[in-house]
Amino acid sequence: MTEVQFYGHGLPGLKKKRLPGRLIVLEGTDGVGRSTQSALLREWLEAEGYAVAATGLKRGSLAGKGIKAAMSGHTLGNITLNLLYATDFVDRLERLIIPALRASFVVLTDRYIYSIIARAQVRGVDPAWLRDVFGFALVPDAVFYLHADLTHLIPRVLNARGFDYWESGVDFLRAPDRYESFVEYQTQILAQFDAMANEFGFVTVDANGSIREVFETLQAGIRDVIQDMKPPKHVKGKDK
Amino acid sequence: MAKLADGCPLPGKLFIVEGIDGSGKSTQLDMLRKWLIGQGYCVAFSEWNSSPIVRNTTKRGKKRRLLTPTSFCLIHAADFADRMERQMLPALKAGAIVLADRYVYTAFARDAARGVHPEWVRQVYGFAIQPTVAFYFRVPLEESLKRILEGRPKLKYYEAGLDLGLSDDPYKSFKQFQSSIVNQYEQMVEEFGLKVIDASLPLLEQHDQVRAIVEPHLDDALHAERRGWREVLAAERLEGRYLDEIGISGDLP
Repeated sequence: MTEVQFYGHGLPGLKKKRLPGRLIVLEGTDGVGRSTQSALLREWLEAEGYAVAATGLKRGSLAGKGIKAAMSGHTLGNITLNLLYATDFVDRLERLIIPALRASFVVLTDRYIYSIIARAQVRGVDPAWLRDVFGFALVPDAVFYLHADLTHLIPRVLNARGFDYWESGVDFLRAPDRYESFVEYQTQILAQFDAMANEFGFVTVDANGSIREVFETLQAGIRDVIQDMKPPKHVKGKDK
Repeated sequence: MAKLADGCPLPGKLFIVEGIDGSGKSTQLDMLRKWLIGQGYCVAFSEWNSSPIVRNTTKRGKKRRLLTPTSFCLIHAADFADRMERQMLPALKAGAIVLADRYVYTAFARDAARGVHPEWVRQVYGFAIQPTVAFYFRVPLEESLKRILEGRPKLKYYEAGLDLGLSDDPYKSFKQFQSSIVNQYEQMVEEFGLKVIDASLPLLEQHDQVRAIVEPHLDDALHAERRGWREVLAAERLEGRYLDEIGISGDLP
């Protein structure tokens, strides 16, 4: 991260103008393969000699558990849930992401504020309010948006864990069954992501292909982002 | 009248109290509540930091000292949002009177005292309902410190503002923190038109002032029929045996 930049008001207390690490985001809908790719990329980067920190939504030690517990009750209001997400996000940002960037880590994050914004917008939450609240988020070095068509997503989701209550929008859509709800919900979410691609400068990656094809595309993209980081001594010359 | 954030009026009335610890605002709100109930109004009550969904996360953060000024702000906003979405808003839509012990101004004062950008905190709470009347109980700092610290062995970490590193001594830190919160409140009196009550006056005098301000807003507030079963028992000469069984009895408030 050459220059520290925030989307809005930023965080109080971050004095540094530069952080030597790199913040790389993988975004995309449920079932598009984000977790698989993150796991593969992390191992590859570590083998290349980089220090890698991995994180993702709801994984913070402050609010992660609380969100999961609250979501299992299905009684959460939209504003409340988004503020809980924001709490979890800022907790990981201040206590994990920024310290890692300060220590020259490559930080790989499975989803960022964009997923939160997309899911909130389809539920009718005010877009301007969302951007204000998440104004403390760092602008990442790169956002790779994995984009797959619905026809490719459905078998992957079915193979993995089926149609989840929240990821099918059952909480607000009035579809007759969960499959139709899923299709309707994911269509709306995809439209939100596509609209944000411009606003936030996503690098769109075609995720309809095989895991290997997607991995290689991401690998090339990430090489560009990390190329001017000082390569660790013992692998000097090996990279490239 | 209470209004949604976008200015759209709600049929209910929202009265809220603000002030530093030891200002006596909760006592005054309780007196107001009992008076309103006595008048036959339908009254709902909401207290700062009491959402059942969010409470455990806040507790965890405080106990393990995981909270930074920004996450402290957001978790309290989540708590507020949950209470607004599930308690206050439905009651106000139904036309009831809602009383809140502390409101967004508590966050504006505390978070700004913790160094969070004041404008951002206002944006975060941009969804909040505008109250019918917001009371601010103004009390000299020394007086409130005396009330709070008397017979109190230990101050909690965040309560004392120890996370700000003002002083290692909890009492010194608490004093400084409270004083900076008072400054924030004073600035908000004009910004939000807070109704100032002199909290060093005798209890009943304050209550009279509060009542006089509240009363003109009550014309069309929702009434609740209380103990209507009594009339039936009296008219039909019944004992109410089965009312006892379902837990309704003359002893309940």
